[in-house]
Formats: sequence, C-alpha cells, structure tokens
Amino acid sequence: MSTVAISEKRSALAPLGKPLAIAGGVLAVVAALLPWVTFSLNDGNWPDKSTLQFFDAPFLVTGFRWHMLLFGVFILVAALAPTPSRGRVLRALGWGTLAVSFINALYITIKGGGLGAITALDGEVAFGGVVGVVAGVLVILASYGIGIEPVADWKFKVSTPVAYLVLLVAFGGVLYAVAAMLTTGGVGASNPYAGAIFLSFLGFAGGVLAALSGVGLVRWISALSEEHRVFSVIVLAACALLLPFTDAGNEYWMTVAANIGIYAATAIGLNIVVGLAGLLDLGYVAFMGIGALVAANFSGAATAYFGFSLPFPVAAAIAAVVAGIFGAIVGSPTLRVRGDYLAIVTLAFGEIFTRSAQNDIGGFTNGSNAIPGIPALSLFGAEFNRSITIGPVKLPGGVLYYILIVLLVAATMAVFANLKFSRIGRAWIAIREDEDAARAMGIRTGKMKILAFLIGAMLAGLAGAVFAHKNGTVSYESFKFLESITLLAAVILGGMGSIPGAVLGASLLFVLPEKLRDFEEYRLMIFGLALILIMRFRPVGLIPDAHRRAEMAEKADENAEEAHVEARKA
Amino acid sequence: MSTPVLEARDVSMVFGGLKALKGVTLTLEEGKIVGLIGPNGAGKTTFFNCLTGLYTPTTGQVLLKGNVLPGDPAKVTDAGVARTFQNIRLFPSMTVLENVMVGRHVRMKQGPLASLFHGPAYQRGEKAARERSRELLAFVGLNGVDDELSRNLPYGDQRRLEIARALATDPAVLLLDEPTAGMNPQETEATQQLIFRIRETGVSVVVIEHDIKFIFGLCDSVSVLVQGELLVEGSPAVVRADPRVVEAYLGKPPEEVQHDVEAAKGEQA
Amino acid sequence: MSVLLQQLANGVIQGALIALIALGYTMVYGIIQLINFAHGEVFMVASYGGLATFTLLPDDLKKTPAVALPLMFVGGIAVAVLVAVVMERFAYRPLRGSSRLAPLITALGVSVFLQEAVRVWYPDATSNLPYPKVFPEGNLSLGAVNIPWTGVLLIVLSVGLSIILQTYINKSRMGRAMRATAQDPDTAKLMGVNPDRVIVLTFVFGAVLAGVAGVMFGGYLNNINIDMGFQNGIFAFTAAVLGGVGSIRGAVVGAFIIGLIKTLSGQYMPGGTQYDYVWIFVVLILVLVFRPQGLFGEPERVRA
Repeated sequence: MSTVAISEKRSALAPLGKPLAIAGGVLAVVAALLPWVTFSLNDGNWPDKSTLQFFDAPFLVTGFRWHMLLFGVFILVAALAPTPSRGRVLRALGWGTLAVSFINALYITIKGGGLGAITALDGEVAFGGVVGVVAGVLVILASYGIGIEPVADWKFKVSTPVAYLVLLVAFGGVLYAVAAMLTTGGVGASNPYAGAIFLSFLGFAGGVLAALSGVGLVRWISALSEEHRVFSVIVLAACALLLPFTDAGNEYWMTVAANIGIYAATAIGLNIVVGLAGLLDLGYVAFMGIGALVAANFSGAATAYFGFSLPFPVAAAIAAVVAGIFGAIVGSPTLRVRGDYLAIVTLAFGEIFTRSAQNDIGGFTNGSNAIPGIPALSLFGAEFNRSITIGPVKLPGGVLYYILIVLLVAATMAVFANLKFSRIGRAWIAIREDEDAARAMGIRTGKMKILAFLIGAMLAGLAGAVFAHKNGTVSYESFKFLESITLLAAVILGGMGSIPGAVLGASLLFVLPEKLRDFEEYRLMIFGLALILIMRFRPVGLIPDAHRRAEMAEKADENAEEAHVEARKA
Repeated sequence: MSTPVLEARDVSMVFGGLKALKGVTLTLEEGKIVGLIGPNGAGKTTFFNCLTGLYTPTTGQVLLKGNVLPGDPAKVTDAGVARTFQNIRLFPSMTVLENVMVGRHVRMKQGPLASLFHGPAYQRGEKAARERSRELLAFVGLNGVDDELSRNLPYGDQRRLEIARALATDPAVLLLDEPTAGMNPQETEATQQLIFRIRETGVSVVVIEHDIKFIFGLCDSVSVLVQGELLVEGSPAVVRADPRVVEAYLGKPPEEVQHDVEAAKGEQA
Repeated sequence: MSVLLQQLANGVIQGALIALIALGYTMVYGIIQLINFAHGEVFMVASYGGLATFTLLPDDLKKTPAVALPLMFVGGIAVAVLVAVVMERFAYRPLRGSSRLAPLITALGVSVFLQEAVRVWYPDATSNLPYPKVFPEGNLSLGAVNIPWTGVLLIVLSVGLSIILQTYINKSRMGRAMRATAQDPDTAKLMGVNPDRVIVLTFVFGAVLAGVAGVMFGGYLNNINIDMGFQNGIFAFTAAVLGGVGSIRGAVVGAFIIGLIKTLSGQYMPGGTQYDYVWIFVVLILVLVFRPQGLFGEPERVRA
C-alpha cells in the first residue's frame, strides 16, 4: 500500500526532482540567513541571534542557523554533484532540515505564545522557521521524485595507512559529535532553551549521519573498521579517554558520562542474552542490583552486612560471580520453557528480587533505607571522585571514575565481540534463528542458553559493583522493572546484537532525560510511545547488526523494485 | 555379516491413541543409500524424528554401529547422525559460511574461556573449521557465496547448503528429508549425483522422497512405509515389481503415482 | 479457625477479581499467541474511567447509587473498550506476522504509555484516589466470617460473566469463529472467517471484563492508584498460565487459586503480606517449568 503511494508520488514528481531539491537547498540557505523570532521571549532572546531586534549580522551564523546553512549547502551539493544514491541522501537531508526548522519554530511558537512569534511584526518579517520547514518538505518531495535507491556500496580498497587515517578522522568526528551532544544547550537547567537547542542538534546530527549513511560512507567505514578491528578499538578507546579534555570535561558531564557507561556496559551484557541468544529477559537489572548489593556489603559502609571491606577488585569479582550464579539459576528454566513464557519467568524473577530487596531479605539490602555511605574508590590514595592535576593539566572531578568505566565498557565490548565471533556465539545465533535446527547441529541448546544468562549476568554484576561505588548508595529502587525495560529499550533502540548500538541506545536513553528537563513529566510516556514506534517502524534499531542490516537493506530494495514496477505500469 | 551402521529395531511411536509407527525395522549397511517411500501420512517423518532423537520411540530401539542412540537430537548428531529438514531450516540471517560453521560446532572443542580470549589454539581451531567448511561448500557446489546471507540463496542452493551444513558434523549417517522437493529435473539430477558422491566419501545415507523415480534410480535398497507399517523392503527392482506396493500405494502403477504426488505438491505450494 | 475462614473468603474475592482480568489475557493469547502485557493497564484505565464518569455526573445523580453505579460501569467499560480497540488497531495489528519479540515489546510500551498517560493527565492521579461510595455497604455475615457485599457482588459478576462467556464461545456463531481462528487462523480464513473481526472482538470481550473488574476493584478496596494495573495484571497473567493459557475454565480456576495463595501466604508464610507477591511468582515459575501447559491446557507437540 505504501509502495503504491510512493510510486504515485514519484511518477508525478519525477521530472521535478532536481529543481525541487535545488529550490529546497536555496531556501534552507535563505532560512539560515533570515531572522526566526519577531520579539524577545520571556525567558530571554532565542539563541544564535535569531531574534529580529538583535539580528545585526545576518552572515555571522552560529548554532542552529549554522546547521541550516550547512544543510542548504549539502542539499545543493547532493543535487548538483554526481552523488551516489542521491534520493536517499536528499531524503535524509530533507528530514534533517525539516526537523531543525520545525523544532525551533515549534519551541518559539509555544514559548512566544502564538504564531506571531515566527511570522511578521510591524511590517518586518521573521519567516526563518516557515521558510526552513518549506525547504525541508520540498527536499523530501524531491527525494521521492528522484527515487530512493539502495545504499551505495563502495567497492574501492585503500592501503593500510590511508585506512588508518580515515578511521582516525571518523572516530575523531565521533568524539567531536559526542562532546557536542553532551555540551549543546549547556548543563541541565542553566539555559532556558537547553531542550530546544539539544533537540535541534539531534535533528542536525541525525540528518547528517543519515545522509552519510545513505551515500555509503558509513557502511564503507564500518567495513574498514571491521577489517582493522584492533586499530579501531585502540582509536575508539583513545577517543573515549580524550573526552575529559573536550568541552564536556567538567564534573557534571563526567558524572553523566560515567553513568551512561555503567548502563551501556550492562546493556551490552543484556545484548548477549537478547541480541545473540534471542532470549528475552525482562528482569535483567536484578543482576546489576545483585552485583551492586554484593559490592556494597563488602565495601565497609556503616550499614553493610559484613563489618569489613574487601579490595574493590576482589569485591567486584565476587559480585560478578554471585550475579552469574543467579543468572544461571534464572536461566535454568530455559531447559523447559521457551519464548514468551521464558520472558515471564525472568520478569517474575526480577519482581521477586525487587520485593525481597525492599524487605531487606537476609539483612543484605537494608530495605528501603538502602545502603548509603559506600566509600569512593581510590587508587594510590587518589579518590576517584576528586579532581586531579597532572602537571599543568587539571582534570575535573569524577574523571577517574570515567576512565574506569571507559575501561569497563571496553572490556565488556571485547567480551561481547569475541564471544559473538566464536563457536559459542555462532551457537547462540543459531539458537536464536531456529532452535530445533540448532539442536540438530549438535548444539546443546540448554547449556548454551544458560551460559548466555550466566555471562550476561556476570557482566551486569560487574557493572553493578562499579555502580555501587560510583553512586555511594545502593537501594532496591534503582533496580526495578522499569530499569529492566529501559535497558531492553536501549538494546532494541540501538540494534539487537550490535555493540555500537547498545552504547548508542544507552547513551540516548540516559542523556535525553538529562537534556530534556522540560519534558521531565512526559519522559516515561514518550519512552513508552517510542517503544511502540520503534517496533512499528524500525524494529532492527538505529545501528543494526550487520546481518540484520542486510535484511533491512534487502527489504528496502524490494520495496524500491516494486515501486519501480508500479511506476512503469502507470 | 558386519554390524549395520544404522539399525532401527521394531520402532513404534504412539501419540495419544494414534499409532503413528508400528514396529518398523530398518537396516542401513555402511556405504549404502536406503530410500524410504510411502504415501502422505505413512509416518516417514515421524520415523525420521525417531532416528534423530527428536522423538523417543514408544517401543523399540535405534542403534548406530551397535550402540543405542540417546534420545536427544544434539547427542545423536554428536554420535554421528546428521539430518536435513523437509522444509529447509537454515539459519536465515547467518551467512552461508557461518551456517556450515555451525555444523562444525559439535566437532570443535573451544569452550567459553577459549571463545572469550581467542588464544592461538582457538585461532587454529577456527581456521581449520573455516577451511573444512569451505571444502564442504565446494563439495556441494556452492562457490563464491560464502558471505551471502543464507536466506538470499536460490531454493536449490539452500537445499545444497543444508546438506553441506549436515556434512560438517562429520556424520556416519546422513538423513535427507525430501532433498529434491520443489526442484526442477536438472537440479534433481544434480542432487542425485551429489548423493552418490557423498556415499563415495564413506557416509551412509537414508533418503525420504516422494519422487519414486528418483528413489529407484538412487538407492541400493528401498523400504515402503504404509500407515505406519513397513510393507516391503528390498532392492529397487524387487520393490518396483512387488504388486503389494503398487496396490497399497494408491492402487496405481508407479508412473501415475508419481504424477499424482507431484500434483499434490503443486497444490501445497 | 475463623482467621483461616476469613482469609479463604478474602482469597475467593481476590480470585474473582483476578479471574475477570485473566480472561482477557487468556482469550487474546488463545487467538494470537500474544501476551498482551498492557491488559492490566486496560483494567486500570477502566477504573479511572469509572471514577471520571462519577465525577462528571450531576450532584443529584451522584447521590442515587442505583443510577450512578450502572453509569460508572458503562463509563469504565467504554473507556476500556476504546483503549483496547485503539491499541489492537494501531499497536498490534501492524505487527502481525513479525517476530514474536516485537509485539511483546510493543505491549510493554503500551503498558508504560497508558500508566504514564493516566498519571500525567488524570487530575491528582499521582496519589491514591478515593472511590465513590455508591456500592452496597455492609457485610454478609456467615458465622464468624464477614464478606463485604462488594465482595459478594464481585464473585457473582465474575462467575456469572465467565459462564456467559464460556457459553457464548461454545454456542454462538462468532464463538465458533473464535475457536476456529485460535486453532488454525489460515484455515479459518479460508472458511470465510474474518480474522481481524475475530481478534478485535476478542480484545473487546477482554476489555469489557477488565472494565467490570476495574470498577469493582475501586468499590471493593475504596481507592485506586496507577500501579494497580501492573500488579493485578501480573497476578491475572499468572492465573491464566496456571489454568492453561487459552482455556476459559482454566483462567477462572487459576485465578481463584492465585487469590487463595495470596491471602493464605500473606497470613501463614514467613514474611507475611510483604512476601505474598513473591509466593505468587514462585508459583508462576514452578508452573511454567513443570507444567507449562497449565492445569487445563494441552501439551505442545514438538514440531520438526
């Protein structure tokens, strides 16, 4: 049905594709150079000097206007230069333009109390938002006119040094984007327009990324990085360690980044269970909770069960082992229970954990009083939550935690990647795809599934141990059903079975609430809605696993082909 | 007479009150191809499932080289009986090579720790598995498609891939469940040659098939299963000439039977 | 002794409530093999729907229980049915034929969404809301045991409605279509059964029962909160599984068993009511592991 709709649009738009795209590109540039707001809003001037009275230097564009300008230029380049899979690229850029314009215009309209805020005042115009939206729509229409071809596949090979250079640049870009994402809009509530600035930035980043992916660059780079896996990992780790030296290098963002890292590591563990072995676990956060509780009880905190403290590595190892044992116990019904029913068993286990922890079972959890006062980690007398100074460089507080957690995430990634590309990983994927066939290949499916649960739980337990020290308090409140669902959502949003996906998913789900304080009230509702929409429109996630990505591309090809046939019939 | 490589002794299978198999006995000598034919619902697939441990026979035993097979598909495969499925069951979003490497699973030794650390011994094992898998792909005639997703292969190639995957478990006995279903005459002919070549490597084969012509041209011995019972067993010539087969098997001469069966298949598809 | 009898009575009432919700789970699972996680929230939404209906009534009607109570049922059921139909049409139907993971995750999303929607948009929904006193008051005294009239009503409604449902499914044309679809959707389709209609109807039936349960929950416990859906939903799901998913009789029997486990374990097991929840989950896990087909279900045949 949708294919027919597309094909009709295309048959009418086909000859107009290029002119529309050029018009859209020009309009996007114009929008960037126009004022966007007619008057100064109550919370202060709209950012980037886009308010009419302060519109003194139209060509000195910053922030979202700079993004609009870039979009305009990119659109013109894509329309005029010989671009591979042009329609796809233009579609991405069009949606990006539309998103940036729409988000800004919408915010201005709402904050300004009506459409007057984005239109004309006293004969002077501020049509930036309107023009931007029109530009976006035109480019999207143009892209369907040109036609959505499959993503271009770049065949050409490069020598190793060039590949290294490309990878360096690419990961440098990623680092810059991450730092920008964290810092855009400022910290928390300090900027009244932080939410809008951030969403607008996401629109820009998403549009550019989708365009790069459409042109085939992303696929090419990921193939390169697969080819030079070791080098990529080193560069990626280096990039992560460089984050404290960027704009994001203050205590606040170090803390946020560290928290994201903990959840990302947990999400990667969950990804083994869900993404590789295909076992839906709805109580996974309980393992993180178990790890955190074990570490807390061995930390020497006042209300800990044990009156002594163990060195962190020992406590963390015990935490992982205990969580792993519970993982194997929870996984053991997989010998008899399949599919949805297994999901319910895991959910039941998660609930049993929460309820027991709430009631201070065995005196280990201190019930609703939680276990506070867990000492910060320290290394050679340097506490991890203090700022440190190395020679002339002063690093923000929490940076050592950040580094520890980067290492944790890196280690979890390595575990995931090594397992995935091994005899064990293949067995898991085989079980996910067809359990009976897997058994017929001699795979002891029960053992393998329990192993998945065990390893996943160990990783979660380890992350939990770090969590305990990082946050200083362990309460059952942090490990409820909703957290399990959030982790699951991180895995699914990022892309099941994919490592960068899990990190991206965790980042988005844990950064967004920091950034979108305006929507605090609606956070969970949006989250629920997002789950529904992802399942409906992009069940493979943002960065799908290579295999699943291939599936997707194939479907798109089929659609394109059908549309083509339809168009010819018409 | 030497011990048969695979032997089903008096296998019966009862579901609720339904007797799907009634004391079926089948003997497979080493290096032979045995065909199993019979009308729809005769219990062929049930029998196969008993051979592969998916079902535990209600009474009777299945022996591999004189040892009773365990009642677990994974262990049966480990012991040396591999199978393909009537409705192809590959791992659709794994690549062709990965599918075959899953077949190597049971012959590889790397445990969780080795898989975690990828040490030198692990690398060697992985390399050997990859090479063996490539050999098998070449053996069944699938070249240059290692990195394709298995679901993207044409139908006939998927059947061949399934055979390569089964062979990767180094079986003594290969069970093929309708290996030519849905194939055109050329592909069927190629499959026949492939099965002969498999026999040459020392693997004994049991084939279920509707295509009677194919079975008679392929097998050293044919068993006819009707309503859960073994009707006739013997060389193709003997079976072909047996009036009971012709009669029991829809009461028509073999050529027409085959015709009917194919028509039925067309309806299914 | 009297404590035991009283707890047995409480357990039966709880069971009656759970049964009404469990029927929705069991029917939907029977037809499309979906654990409709959001069904508990449909029950919750219905409870708020009933309350909202009451709030909107003119004052003189508020004082006339004979009018107000039926109207609350109508309001609650209407909201429940609306939510269920919209949910089926826009969340589940597009996913039919996809992997089994997708609808389950969607159901979780719907569940979170509904709960939050009520919390954010229903006035004062962040705290417990008192339910209007339009229900019959007082107790039915049977010796030492006191059963509130709301409890009696709940039991009567629950048993009565499940008998009606069972009869409908066994006897009516549509009921036959439902059973046919449950057994073999493709064949049913060939026989002229419209699967979409059957599925929607299944959701509607579940929602009606959840609607009754939602309003009765308020009447029995006197106040409602947004967590009621998740908890009771899980209990109901457990009951459905215990009875054998797909079986109406099983769901009802399972629900009464769960109700009794809850009250009796709260009374007699170590940890008391703080752990009653845990025992139900323990039962759930044991049932799934040792008798996944439930008490009245048929064992699943291994496929090959």
